[in-house]
Amino acid sequence: MEFKLEAHRIVSISLGKIYNSRVQRGGIKLHKNLLVSLVLRSARQEDTDTDEEMETGNVANLISIFGSSFSGLLRKSPAGGREEEEAEESGPEAAEPGQICCDKPVLRDMSPWSTAIVAF
Amino acid sequence: MGEDTDTRKINHSFLRDHSYVTEADIISTVEFNHTGELLATGDKGGRVVIFQREPESKNAPHSQGEYDVYSTFQSHEPEFDYLKSLEIEEKINKIKWLPQQNAAHSLLSTNDKTIKLWKITERDKRPEGYNLKDEEGKLKDLSTVTSLQVPVLKPMDLMVEVSPRRIFANGHTYHINSISVNSDCETYMSADDLRINLWHLAITDRSFNIVDIKPANMEDLTEVITASEFHPHHCNLFVYSSSKGSLRLCDMRAAALCDKHSKLFEEPEDPSNRSFFSEIISSVSDVKFSHSGRYMLTRDYLTVKVWDLNMEARPIETYQVHDYLRSKLCSLYESDCIFDKFECAWNGSDSVIMTGAYNNFFRMFDRNTKRDVTLEASRESSKPRAVLKPRRVCVGGKRRRDDISVDSLDFTKKILHTAWHPAENIIAIAATNNLYIFQDKVNSDMH
Repeated sequence: MEFKLEAHRIVSISLGKIYNSRVQRGGIKLHKNLLVSLVLRSARQEDTDTDEEMETGNVANLISIFGSSFSGLLRKSPAGGREEEEAEESGPEAAEPGQICCDKPVLRDMSPWSTAIVAF
Repeated sequence: MGEDTDTRKINHSFLRDHSYVTEADIISTVEFNHTGELLATGDKGGRVVIFQREPESKNAPHSQGEYDVYSTFQSHEPEFDYLKSLEIEEKINKIKWLPQQNAAHSLLSTNDKTIKLWKITERDKRPEGYNLKDEEGKLKDLSTVTSLQVPVLKPMDLMVEVSPRRIFANGHTYHINSISVNSDCETYMSADDLRINLWHLAITDRSFNIVDIKPANMEDLTEVITASEFHPHHCNLFVYSSSKGSLRLCDMRAAALCDKHSKLFEEPEDPSNRSFFSEIISSVSDVKFSHSGRYMLTRDYLTVKVWDLNMEARPIETYQVHDYLRSKLCSLYESDCIFDKFECAWNGSDSVIMTGAYNNFFRMFDRNTKRDVTLEASRESSKPRAVLKPRRVCVGGKRRRDDISVDSLDFTKKILHTAWHPAENIIAIAATNNLYIFQDKVNSDMH
């Protein structure tokens, strides 16, 4: 369990790094982002057993980190209502609730690197 | 003038306060020239400072020549790429000296996108006694000119002039990480994350692409180029390192595009050391050929490795730089320290290798005796003429008096850039915004 929490934490940290790289001076550093995406993939692989938990938590993380900048990837859905509530509770970073544009199963299958590219 | 002096005094003491560092002053590269007479540093503010070694004084034969500032110039300025809405940093990533061919010195300096060739010349004489101009350069009244004189060269205070002779722009889409001058003294290469270009030193409007590892679909990207260097003697050979920890030796005679390597140097990963961060710590941050050309030195996050060009399967020597960090990789990932790119260096005879670490420590490994030492570059421990005391990091167990525990290491004080004089035991260590130059005492021992 502790190991999975650690993997979960590493996923959140990695997503934060990918987001921050967008606003860093000098442009996106390809090398660093590649390494971060590899860590993200390793950490996600540890969580393949607890898909359901991970995805809800993951989406909440994405929304809290990216806030309104993530609106390109998200659209409203019946399940979206639940995520929005979580986002509002999750912290000051969530500027506005996200909208889920692709179904949850698609989000689960997307590789971390593709997810990062789409988020850019 | 008095006011200016006061301002300068205030600024000086402000900078001596160690807690304040201007980001622009952070040194980003250090390089000796081929004779060791000159030492160039580049910083994040795009400036280059060149130091020159003073000739040894005959009056004090025991005092070796010290390095003084020779020239300072602004090499790169921040730029803006309007098409991509990106700012291009002025930070100097690398400096490489060209072999000296006449009285002038030349060097290449590069930021993320543009390489520049600078010529450094000295002027210590000026002509005096013109017929048509007076001392200030104003035209003389011709009626006052009654005789002709030949202008003579008179000595003047030494003036060092630096001018940009070539600007090699628009060659790279990605960030340039290294440049290397070929032994033919006519060409050089520049490498970014995905491509390596070959340039002729006299031609700026075109370059040849010699390595391209960009996949057709960027989502298939698995590795990037991290460093590259020409072989010191064979002008057709070069090596490049990757983020996966491999080295590729390429022969330019084999094909125009050297995507197929001649040799691939790779060590299989130790499965017992596997973690989330295995890929990051195996990424090679620097590669250097030995002076002999027989070996290569690589640095990854925790080790330095010596490779024999004749053996691709594994390195012939591996040295642990700071293995005690292996259990702290998660917090180093969080703080971004795990992405720090440390450089490595050979001494002139290829018998000792050196690399930096944290807490302003740097490490030296003697390849023959297998002894190693940890030294510190700090103002407190570096009074002029003082001998550096070896340091030790304790990892639990017996702790000696002056040991530092792993938890008290200062990870903001990192030595990423070091250089070794090509012939003598003189080293240049860049510790954030400070440059330390250490010289070896004749009979010093390695502990």
